[in-house]
Amino acid sequence: MSIAARWSSGLLLSLSIGLIGCGSDDTSADTENTSDTTSETDSDSGPETESDTDTDSGGALEHDLDLLRQVLETNADIAFAGYSDSVATAVLLQTTIDALVADPTEANLEAAREAWLVSREPYGQTEVYRFRASPIDDSNYDAGDGEDGPEGDINAWPLGEGLIDYVVTGTDFGDDQVGVTDHSTGVNDPIPDNNIINSPNIVIDAALLANTATADDEHDVIAGYHAIEFLLWGQDLNADGSADTVDSRDSTAGRRPVTDFASDDTCTSGETVNADPDPCNRRGLYLQVAVAKLIADLEGVRDGWAAGADYRAAFTTVDDVDAAKGKLLEILVGMGTLSEGELAGERMQISLSANSQEDEHSCFSDNTHRDIWLNAEGVSNAFRGEYAGYDSTLDGSDNQTGNAVDGYGIDDYLTDLGLTDVADDAAAALATTETNYGAVDSSARAGTPVDQMILDAGADAAQPMRDTIVSLNAQSAQVASIAVALEVGSPDDVVDPDASECDTMDPTVEC
Amino acid sequence: MNGVAHRVFLSLGVVSLFACSARSEPAPEWEVANDQTPRTAAARGLRPGGDTTVLLGPSPSLVLPAANLDDAGKAAFYAGKALATQPWVRAPTLTDARDGLGPLYHARSCLACHVKGGRGPASDPNGPGLATLVRLSRPGRGPHTEPIPDPVYGTQLQPQSTALSHQLRGRAGADSYADQGVAIEANVRMSWTSQPFAYPDGTTLALQTPKLELSQWGYGPLEEDTRAALRHTPSLAGVGLIELIAQADLERAADPDDRDGDGISGRVNRVWDPEMRTMRPGRFGLKANQPSVRVQVAGALSGDMGLSSPVFPDQPCTALQPRCLAAPTGNDAEGFEVPESILASMVFFTMSIGVPPRRRPDDPLVMRGQGLFDTAGCGDCHTPRHVTGVDDQYPHLSEQDIWPYSDLLLHDMGPHLADGREDFLATGQEWRTPPLWGAGLARAMHARVGFLHDGRARTIEEAIVWHDGEALASRVRYAELGADDRRALVAFVRSL
Repeated sequence: MSIAARWSSGLLLSLSIGLIGCGSDDTSADTENTSDTTSETDSDSGPETESDTDTDSGGALEHDLDLLRQVLETNADIAFAGYSDSVATAVLLQTTIDALVADPTEANLEAAREAWLVSREPYGQTEVYRFRASPIDDSNYDAGDGEDGPEGDINAWPLGEGLIDYVVTGTDFGDDQVGVTDHSTGVNDPIPDNNIINSPNIVIDAALLANTATADDEHDVIAGYHAIEFLLWGQDLNADGSADTVDSRDSTAGRRPVTDFASDDTCTSGETVNADPDPCNRRGLYLQVAVAKLIADLEGVRDGWAAGADYRAAFTTVDDVDAAKGKLLEILVGMGTLSEGELAGERMQISLSANSQEDEHSCFSDNTHRDIWLNAEGVSNAFRGEYAGYDSTLDGSDNQTGNAVDGYGIDDYLTDLGLTDVADDAAAALATTETNYGAVDSSARAGTPVDQMILDAGADAAQPMRDTIVSLNAQSAQVASIAVALEVGSPDDVVDPDASECDTMDPTVEC
Repeated sequence: MNGVAHRVFLSLGVVSLFACSARSEPAPEWEVANDQTPRTAAARGLRPGGDTTVLLGPSPSLVLPAANLDDAGKAAFYAGKALATQPWVRAPTLTDARDGLGPLYHARSCLACHVKGGRGPASDPNGPGLATLVRLSRPGRGPHTEPIPDPVYGTQLQPQSTALSHQLRGRAGADSYADQGVAIEANVRMSWTSQPFAYPDGTTLALQTPKLELSQWGYGPLEEDTRAALRHTPSLAGVGLIELIAQADLERAADPDDRDGDGISGRVNRVWDPEMRTMRPGRFGLKANQPSVRVQVAGALSGDMGLSSPVFPDQPCTALQPRCLAAPTGNDAEGFEVPESILASMVFFTMSIGVPPRRRPDDPLVMRGQGLFDTAGCGDCHTPRHVTGVDDQYPHLSEQDIWPYSDLLLHDMGPHLADGREDFLATGQEWRTPPLWGAGLARAMHARVGFLHDGRARTIEEAIVWHDGEALASRVRYAELGADDRRALVAFVRSL
């Protein structure tokens, strides 16, 4: 009896307890020979035959390999398009940063900020490609040797802004500032910890910003989108920069003065005028290094999805239905994990629970409403097999459609297999989420950004956040239903045939 | 190391993805617990965490929500998980629910060491050994019989600091600021020496023991009689269920003076609860030196990450570390970096982690191993089964039939594993029986597996062979088995 048949016969719990991670029933014959690594070949070929038999005799779901390949190709096409647009908008951001550094005017600072906001529009939609061994998290399709992808240098959060530049201190965010003027070695003991901008001996280059993937505990996050965000906006202290109480904060974002980039004697660090322009020059250099590294990291991810690239080939080249189902399961795992655990839980619920104003994804720019929208939109894109491009005018509608994809989605496949009800239920769940994240977006655009919505988790203002969390969890359940309906949930379906001299999940095999 | 884990390449989530559908399915017939029928699933421990037992899916993880957690509980779980996963950063920052790391610390997040919620990776001879920490103590015991801290370095060596020069170590120009900021306490490295073990049948096994290499003392050399003890990151699986076991059940199994003469004592540790300000039974930690998950979590926040909380409100600095004391904190208006709400969220997350299912429990090799496990007497300390009590805050953990394979008591494990550190009632040779939940999944979490208190055992077989003291008779019985039987017994443990 194949795993797939078990799923459909309702013995899900027995499967989970008895067989998950195992070679299933067919391996009892070779258990005495536990060190025989060639048994992997046997157990690979065995279930396929059985599966075919079951499909024929049991009247179970009949998969279509060609259509499954279309689902995978579309998923890869959207990834390549999304990351291509991410690279393109990051390059535009680089142009505006160069202009700001060359000529630090209010207009150029505003242009750079707008370019940063635009750069988030395509990238946010790509986050559904996380939580599976795709190039953003894993360079070689094998998490067994650690997740070594560049995500940590691209989009990690929370930022260690105190390691980068001056910050305000104190629980009330009074007018103390740390690291503003401390240029020389300490004369007082103790002294405050210094930061990169104000430590002229620190060489600002890509190597400084990189957090090596094998030592994720190396240093605070100082690279990626949010480092650039911090340098463009500064800390979000609101109108008078002096308060952190609920009553005294307003709905504006960070207000770093453009003089923080002045390369002459008007150079400031916030409210402090510096004796020389070095901190301002270093701020500009930091921005340039950070955006160059961001582009390079994004290009690496994009290239993994390009036609003919190793990763894309490994993802889309499937020789049989079981292999294709395994890849489809990867897509669904990414969709479900982003919906529930990551976006609803680790990004939204925690910000509500913490009751901390800046405990949000894009806290310097007050752009978290877009993060929520775009992350959720990415899940919807994966379901529908469509990518509508991105919004370069920041009005909420996608106008940059040069790389748009209108492909063969999971919904199409469900429909073609006669699982219209499953497709409709999932579409309805995604639509509810869309309504709810739309309300978060509307609230922010109307003057109540996420950092104000989350101040009181029980308040009316937080209702769209709460609704979105609930609907994201509900849509995750629908994604699970798709996996069950398509019978893709077996771990044996996602075995990488090239891997494994040793099955770490099998207690009878010594690794 | 490539190709080790062909089923591990999907990260997180498939369990929660499918849990809801799983719950809606009718329970298989055999799942109905019936203690009168020894072949039922419950009686054989096929669901080691009772109803919390998760579906493992293609990506094994020990930080999945208990399978029976409701929607509100799951949301709370993921909120706590964010705090345990995402890195804490040095203060001050605007995200004041996330700052306050250090100034001295060991790691910046819980899961940096508890990788995927499991045991930490063993130290790489060339690396910093993040998942093993160093406890310090002076001879004797303090007013509550607790270990006496070193006057300069405190109770734990912190090899990291938030100082710029340390954060950016190795980067061009960073060294020139080495005199500024808070110095690390010491650089910690471990090396390994090998020694052979011979089975009666002549088979040999190479064991390894760790050697601690401390350098770059930030505050002067360590006092000569300050003792350093290694502590390897244990698994988080099932700690909430353990908390709900009635103390009376553990006391009943205890035999501190070995009155039954079986050579096995089993002692309950009595430890200081800093919140209740009283002595309480200990059951968490490698020496059962923590009274509750809450105190354990708060202790790790304080000692490992330098985060103050209502349980441990102080910064990780001694009076002889003035820069550490003077560094900016992430304290809120009430004086905590981790206020009560955040601490409660992290405790709820830790308590509510689901227990992994058995793998291939019906395999003949595993079944044979289970019988050998029993006849060798392993279960005398690795008590298979407990039943949890009722806690209104944790209905999903209440009245569960659980199979941790531990009595949670202290046992003398002999001189070879001893590190001499006395910890409340625990002697320098005593260790708490560790639960075996997920022991066989260690290799699926990361490539460098480390069992026992200092991570010295690379395999379950090595861990068994290290057993001595009260476990000597069982170890001898194991060693006298034939190679096939030894493999069967190990396969059983790996199936847990």
